[in-house]
Amino acid sequence: MSSPNPVPHTAAEETVEQSLYEVSRKIYPRSVTGWFATWRWVFVWLTQLVFYGCCWLPWNGRQAMLFDLVERKFYIFGLVFWPQDVFFLAVLLIISAYSLFLFTAVGGRLWCGYACPQTVYTSIFLYIEEKVEGNRMARMKLDSLPLSLRKVYLKAGKHAIWIIFSLWTGFTFVGYFTPIKTLTTGLLHLDLGPWEIFWILFYGLATYGNAGWLREQVCKYMCPYARFQGVMFDPDTLTVTYDRERGEPRGSRARKTDHREKGLGDCIDCQLCVAVCPTGIDIRDGLQYECIGCAACIDVCDQVMDKMDYPRGLIRYSTENAIEKHWGWRDILGHVIRPRVLVYSGVLMVIVIAFLWGLAVKPELRVDVLRDRAALAREVEGGLIENVYRLQVMNVSEIPQRYEISVQGLKDIQLIGPRVVAVAPATTQALTLQVRVPPESGKTGASTIYFDLRSVSNPRIAVHEKARFLLP
Amino acid sequence: MRQRLMWVLWPSFVVAGVAEIAFFTLVDPQELYLFGEPVYFSRMATYSIGFFGFWAVCAAASFFTCFLQRSAKEVNAHRHPAAH
Ligand code: SF4
Ligand code: SF4
Repeated sequence: MSSPNPVPHTAAEETVEQSLYEVSRKIYPRSVTGWFATWRWVFVWLTQLVFYGCCWLPWNGRQAMLFDLVERKFYIFGLVFWPQDVFFLAVLLIISAYSLFLFTAVGGRLWCGYACPQTVYTSIFLYIEEKVEGNRMARMKLDSLPLSLRKVYLKAGKHAIWIIFSLWTGFTFVGYFTPIKTLTTGLLHLDLGPWEIFWILFYGLATYGNAGWLREQVCKYMCPYARFQGVMFDPDTLTVTYDRERGEPRGSRARKTDHREKGLGDCIDCQLCVAVCPTGIDIRDGLQYECIGCAACIDVCDQVMDKMDYPRGLIRYSTENAIEKHWGWRDILGHVIRPRVLVYSGVLMVIVIAFLWGLAVKPELRVDVLRDRAALAREVEGGLIENVYRLQVMNVSEIPQRYEISVQGLKDIQLIGPRVVAVAPATTQALTLQVRVPPESGKTGASTIYFDLRSVSNPRIAVHEKARFLLP
Repeated sequence: MRQRLMWVLWPSFVVAGVAEIAFFTLVDPQELYLFGEPVYFSRMATYSIGFFGFWAVCAAASFFTCFLQRSAKEVNAHRHPAAH
């Protein structure tokens, strides 16, 4: 076979190849407490209470949040979305993307550090890991030990808890697409549909794999946002920054020494900022795309500074401009409002208002009229000309409705068939109607007529729908 | 190798997800025809099979991209066994 490296590569190529195939070393993040860590836990709790809880909330006798794929209807509290409402979904996606741009321009990777499911689940999994296997040192030691009963016991325990948690997550996820009560009954009677089982396992496995095994690699190699966030940064974007000027030259020293006299900066080179970093980078090397902005290094370095009796904030949220020009908070905040941020906010505001307006005027009744193509215009008794129509009446509201039907547009037009149609909440009712006119009512060919449907209980809910009437 | 596997499977997974949502929002699975017969699976089954169908197609494209991305040197490697 071919030799492994037949043609000499250039040095640059070599590094690229190497970094691509680099066996990622396992990262053991040291757990950290502090202001930002507390905020992260607040967000973990908030997002997860919403995620695990919302699917259990009832509303009008059904699940409050249900994306019913089988019925092809999405319920979000009082709102019901049909496939016809896909426009709202598209706008919602645009709003999310724009908010992400705005947040990133102002505060860097706030999403990554606090709210991204990857961060949230990794935090939870790390918490479990620490509870079972111990702190960073204990975990590193455990991994280096040969196989023993204790090791097997600890590892098995950790994975068991992870797997149970993941399965519950998968179950909750599927519970947003299939009513969760049905799902629970199915589970209790061991009678789940094959696809439900499959998707619970699939989502559970994804959670387990991403939060338990892949972790920072998802952010580093898989996340598209991490790749293009750089373009949303500018010199006034808040990021986690190491104050090089203040910290360097780094070096260890005794607590009591006057380090300035010895020509040292404030960084005592304790490496704790590296130990807590979930992506295993050294923030002192400057802003790197691997940094998810979790601020763990800020928390830990502040503790170090406290112990040394130095002022806090050797690593802090700051901006490129602020570090360079020695700005204080006032200047930093003053630069938050800049053209890019104003443009992002302006566009976002317009879209949000349009979206809310669209929701407010979302029709509660929809009617599709189809002329029955099989039955052409024909003459019936009394010399009248008849056209046949199929009406799809969609009650998009949440209450049962009765609609009065009438037709107009041609002289002496009459409607044969039901005059009132009852439609259950969030359902479609099909009906066939015949419309007749005397032949002299219009010209030969197509004329325009209108179907009017009006709710009996609420006359404001009405539809005026156009149709074509053929005269031979 | 693991990296390449990820390059093939992961982007195709994401794109398949997008394609799945776009396709099935516009098309009701019960209105599809398979070999001239109306689809008789449940909607859930059609969605799921549809997703894996999309994934497979996208993965094939990713695989092809990966394959074409190999440098000329890698492709011709076996022709110059003595060059080293
Ligand atoms: S935690 Fe602070 S003092 Fe310690 S090495 Fe990092 S920057 Fe220096
Ligand atoms: S460098 Fe600091 S903020 Fe960035 S990922 Fe590491 S610990 Fe988090």
